[in-house]
Amino acid sequence: MMPIWTKSGEKHAVTLLKVQDCHVLRYISKEESGGKTAKLLVGGKNVSPFSKPESAHEIFKEAGVPRKQKVTTFNVTDDAIIKPGTPLYAAHFRPGQFVDVTAKTVGKGFQGVMKRWGFKGQPASHGQTKTHRRPGAISTNKAAKVYRGKKMPGKMGNIYRTSFGLKVWRINTKHDIIYVNGSVPGHTNCLVKVKDSKLPTYKDCNKNPPFPTFFADGDEELPEDLFDEEIFQFTDPSVTFA
Amino acid sequence: RVSSDGKPPKFQPPPKPVIIDRKTQKEERRFLSPEFIPPRGRTDPLKYYIERKDMIQRRKVFNIPEFYVGSVLAVTTADPYASDKSKRFVGICIQRGGKGLGATFVLRNVIEDQGVEICYELYSPRIQAMEVLKLEKRLDENLTYLRDALPEYSTFDVNMKPVPRGDHEEIPVNKLQVRMKPKPWSKRWERPKYNIKGIKFELPEHKMKAAQKWCQPWLEFDMLREYDTSKIEEKIRKELNEELAK
Repeated sequence: MMPIWTKSGEKHAVTLLKVQDCHVLRYISKEESGGKTAKLLVGGKNVSPFSKPESAHEIFKEAGVPRKQKVTTFNVTDDAIIKPGTPLYAAHFRPGQFVDVTAKTVGKGFQGVMKRWGFKGQPASHGQTKTHRRPGAISTNKAAKVYRGKKMPGKMGNIYRTSFGLKVWRINTKHDIIYVNGSVPGHTNCLVKVKDSKLPTYKDCNKNPPFPTFFADGDEELPEDLFDEEIFQFTDPSVTFA
Repeated sequence: RVSSDGKPPKFQPPPKPVIIDRKTQKEERRFLSPEFIPPRGRTDPLKYYIERKDMIQRRKVFNIPEFYVGSVLAVTTADPYASDKSKRFVGICIQRGGKGLGATFVLRNVIEDQGVEICYELYSPRIQAMEVLKLEKRLDENLTYLRDALPEYSTFDVNMKPVPRGDHEEIPVNKLQVRMKPKPWSKRWERPKYNIKGIKFELPEHKMKAAQKWCQPWLEFDMLREYDTSKIEEKIRKELNEELAK
């Protein structure tokens, strides 16, 4: 995470996400998948092919791509279908866009009720016998049972969670890095899924994004760094308030 | 000297002049700001490389001078609520923290009997000028104990003139021992964990001995705590010199 300053001098914290060897693996049509839209399987981050059996390599061999660590699905409209085997780059996103980021949260192991659900526990003194971090009562007398989904101690973390509506401040096309506002679930160097935001406030925020994606062998030549309009770039002199 | 046998003494040629090349010596002793050294961790080194590029970019446009904890600085920042739209603050640097772009330093001064500490970010675009009025080091890396010292040690004249310093001289170390206000202090500075050398403790002997109960002499032999940054520093220094020379 890094700080970023706007032209008015305000500081925002920013997370760096690297797009590492992402390729489209397979196209699944609407009828085949049984959903409302067509799907595209995308894989990220190359990994050695020797730790899995040959049967697991079929998808990758069809697309002509080395074995990937993670394969995810994206629901796609029919006009955004991409041929399997095309690489995806960070330039697919543009500064000023809003994005949802999904990842597995940091695993905390078996945790008690105070850390996992934020219960208040009991006082530390004034006669409490062996009861300081316990849940207390778990149901009423009339119910005569414990309801399903009662908050109790258990394994915490290591589940998929999404942060919605994160602004993209800057894109580095040379190293394929996306600068995303705020924090993102997961530990450092974990795998993360980045999608266009589904929030209704940001429905019309994308002005001319590269559609269906940014093709590296196309005619477009992008500069090494793409900045949002409000970012203070370090090539400018210091900020002054007129 | 007695001449041998009446003949004139043997001609001694004058000693050859020793040429000290000032330029090469200057480049060897170059200061590396502590926020460039990456901390120990599992982050990808690419992230530090990219952050360093941004820091070098900012240093090309705005001159961040060399300073240490204990030097007196004057910082002018842009302020939308001031009448001149800019604010100037003079103070002694108490501590330098943070790595990378978020590096900060705290300046302390006593203005009209009120102690004031301001934490500035080195790479913030609101800083318009930064000048070192007095460049010197102190006996400690962290001067937070000045909060519990007598106010005379933290007062600096707001209109102080910069102290002239010859180029390529050693940074002077001010071995000042500071006198403290009576206890209680904000932290127990006599304890060995803070390892402070710049205070003149006027506590009784038995209290100083009691404080040594908390010393942990095994810490200096702990190999897992060692972080040898010499090679990393060399690489970063070379990279910095190349980039700033462009």
